[in-house]
Amino acid sequence: MSAVTVRPTLLEREAQLDKLRTALAVAAAGTGRLLFVSGEAGVGKSALVRSFRAEIGGSMRVLEGVCDPLATPRPLGPLADIAAATGGELERLIDSGARPHELLRALLAEVDREPTLLVLEDLHWADEATLDVLRLLGRRVEASRALVVGTYRDDELDERHSLRQVVGGLATVPGVSRLELQPLSVSAVAILAVLHEVDPAELHRRTGGNPFFVTEVLAAGGPSVPPTVRDAVAARAARLDRSSRSLLDAVALVPTQAELSLLERVVPSELASLDECLGSGMLTSSTDAVAFRHELARLAVAESLSPLRAATLHRSILAALESGAVDGPDPARLAHHADGAGDDAAVLRYGVVAGEHAAARAAHREAAAQFARALEHASGLPDDEVAHLLERRAHECALTGQVEEAIASREAALARWRAIGDRHREGEQLCWLSRLHWYRGHREESEHMAQAAVELLRTLPPGRELAFAYSVMAARRQISLDPEGTAEWGEPALALAERLGEHELVAWTLVSLGSVEAFAGQGSERLERALEVALEHELEDVAARAYGNLAVTAVRRREWQEATRLIADGLAYATDRDLELDRSYLLAWRSWIALPKAEWDDAAADASAVLQTGTTAYVIRATALMALGLLRARRGDPDVWPPLEEALAIGREAAELPKRAPVALVMAEAAILAGDRERALAELAGFEPEALADRWIAGELACWRRRLGVARGDVTDVPEPFTLELRGRRDAAVGWWREHGCPYDAAFVLAWADDEASLQRSHEELLALGARGAAALPARRLRERGVRGVARGPRPSTRSNPAHLTARELEVLRHVATGLRNADIAERLVVSRRTVDHHVSAILRKLGVRTRLEAAAEARRLELLQDR
Amino acid sequence: MDTYVILRRNGWNTADDLREAAARSTAEGERMPDDVTWIRSYVLAETDGTVGTVCIYQASSPEAIRRHAERADLPVDEIVKVADTVVVRPDPAPAQV
Repeated sequence: MSAVTVRPTLLEREAQLDKLRTALAVAAAGTGRLLFVSGEAGVGKSALVRSFRAEIGGSMRVLEGVCDPLATPRPLGPLADIAAATGGELERLIDSGARPHELLRALLAEVDREPTLLVLEDLHWADEATLDVLRLLGRRVEASRALVVGTYRDDELDERHSLRQVVGGLATVPGVSRLELQPLSVSAVAILAVLHEVDPAELHRRTGGNPFFVTEVLAAGGPSVPPTVRDAVAARAARLDRSSRSLLDAVALVPTQAELSLLERVVPSELASLDECLGSGMLTSSTDAVAFRHELARLAVAESLSPLRAATLHRSILAALESGAVDGPDPARLAHHADGAGDDAAVLRYGVVAGEHAAARAAHREAAAQFARALEHASGLPDDEVAHLLERRAHECALTGQVEEAIASREAALARWRAIGDRHREGEQLCWLSRLHWYRGHREESEHMAQAAVELLRTLPPGRELAFAYSVMAARRQISLDPEGTAEWGEPALALAERLGEHELVAWTLVSLGSVEAFAGQGSERLERALEVALEHELEDVAARAYGNLAVTAVRRREWQEATRLIADGLAYATDRDLELDRSYLLAWRSWIALPKAEWDDAAADASAVLQTGTTAYVIRATALMALGLLRARRGDPDVWPPLEEALAIGREAAELPKRAPVALVMAEAAILAGDRERALAELAGFEPEALADRWIAGELACWRRRLGVARGDVTDVPEPFTLELRGRRDAAVGWWREHGCPYDAAFVLAWADDEASLQRSHEELLALGARGAAALPARRLRERGVRGVARGPRPSTRSNPAHLTARELEVLRHVATGLRNADIAERLVVSRRTVDHHVSAILRKLGVRTRLEAAAEARRLELLQDR
Repeated sequence: MDTYVILRRNGWNTADDLREAAARSTAEGERMPDDVTWIRSYVLAETDGTVGTVCIYQASSPEAIRRHAERADLPVDEIVKVADTVVVRPDPAPAQV
């Protein structure tokens, strides 16, 4: 097999490369071309040219000249570079100081000897003499056999710049055209950012999609401005005069954009230099504001300021904003500049307002950060105000999954309330801490806090806080799957909360009471009411929790339509409001919809996404780990046990026994698929169906007992598919699973039959579902029955069709037949362009044709394009 | 990354098909360099006249291997984790495929 050479492809430059290829072909055939390649600095003009040159390889002569970024560039610099390579008449003329038209004649004579690619880089720095030659070259290029490619930065050309006049003057000349390179789209940035732990949308925002910035940021890693970017930005800024530099500095300290009305107050005399700044290409302007073209450049300039200078500017900006330079300034802006100015009182004042604004907008991460900053400057505040601020921060942190920070803030608030002697608020913090510790999986602390809260608050006149404490106890009992305990605490909590009109507590308590009822198979009315109340009063975290528990209930009941709808609605709700824990919870459960349907890739994607967030919340993490381990076991892939063992380990710490039953079931299945009956039995030991409040789990457990021959007594009151299997009506059970959209379970239950026909069918079906690991079970049972030659099953990728095209090749052929180009097909299939190239060449070979048109015709003739 | 063996039995009808598959494998592998690294393969002369392969890959997870195979349109029969490598002798010269 010959080695395959490697060439990295540029993103989103295929169209431009095509234009270069076409132009080159035309030029080589005798009609020369001049192509201007323009774009902002760092957009990849040189990279494009380099890539094109690499493509051409040695098949054509290449001459290159570069313009210098000198204050006084050498006259005819790039032409001198070229002359040094060609020698001869051209070199002689350059040395002897010839006129432009003489140089042009020599240049054209040079390129006429053979088809040539002539590259002139960085023309925005070209000297006048070079521009003269260029002007003449453009007019005569068609008569030559050269492709001239000239690159320049268009962000550094003001109206008076000579190059602009040259390019403009040549615009109507045939044979001359322009390629404008755009910055990368978010999807391209996402491709570059794959496997770096950055958010592509955020990276795109910071860099404006500028390829240089993007690659430098990714290479440097970390959140700060890379040194290479800092240097590049500093080099550009250094060319500005003092007044322009001052203006640039001021604009750099204002995030997003600086209003002209603001700049008028802060840097009044420097505003005159605005045009110069715009001409440098670093700033852009709209009717009433000025901004940096790239956020990254702004940060680079801001960081380069001395602390004193920065503080002074911030102070001016703050004063200007306070005195009305801008209408209704966002408090976050005021807080930002107060921080930069070192004005503690102002940071505190504006920070709190900014935090409240952000929270009201459901921007919880920002709110948490604002409160944190305000707290840093809050040393002069009285204890109760500080405590209140700590509570606000804790609340926002909890909503964004920053559980450790939330706990720390709550504990600090608790200490303050205790010092002040406010026992109601002290009790309230204990309630919050109980909840937070549960998120962390610290069962004992959670219980401890809840008990302490009840003890404390019971001694005081009953109010909101007591209802809260009762509600937290109810939630704890619900989490332990203790229906009686939940009702014992939940009903008084609900009654008190309703009497006090505390909607949030009503909703929370309904979630607890409703969840035990739903999991016990008694309907979801209370959960639905919880969701209603929560949505009506915009109680975000409760609503998200209600969505979650309603979704879990639907998933357990295998009601796929309902489950899918609830998860979709819940995900939209949680995503809009930055509720990351709830989002993860819903994604983890979505993987459990895909598992019975044998949609392994979807399940893997969701489970992996959840694990990647690094969440330590037990239920979320365990649910995702179990899905991942189970799908690997069912597929027959390796690395089954590490995720399952982890789910088991964190379960022991975080959950009471009944809650760990689902893990046991998953491990039993994985063990049986691996042929380890002992392990399966060991995992299932210690669980009794009667003791499990969740009847779906109870039913599954009872069936496992039966399958493994260790059933003890009758199990009643479990859902239908399990009842059917327990009563020996296996075919009916299989039918139930199939009707309810669970093809995997249908085939799996069939694997426990005793007759050969059923076992063969189970084996076939499991293989067809891509569950090679699971198919080992019926195969093993067939062998135990002395059956030889268990069928291997059809290979999905070999199809019988006249040309022996694979499924993927047929797919590509269909796109080819509709006229799509390879680059577009690659985008559709989300594969590399070269992969499509290889598919197409394989298709042409197999069909025995030479062009795409012939391929499409042949395909129609062989009727390959009929439906799938 | 861990090392895995991938079995692709009876995957291709001809050597040309396999060559193209190798090219696609490389093309897609380059797009996910931190997820899969192709180490080597042995081409199998299957009894029914088709060819298969035993491939050694390093990968971040079994799912990454499947993702790569899906994109490059390669079959995956079985993925097995490699616990250890024992090289008794170097490989003989590659088969003339």
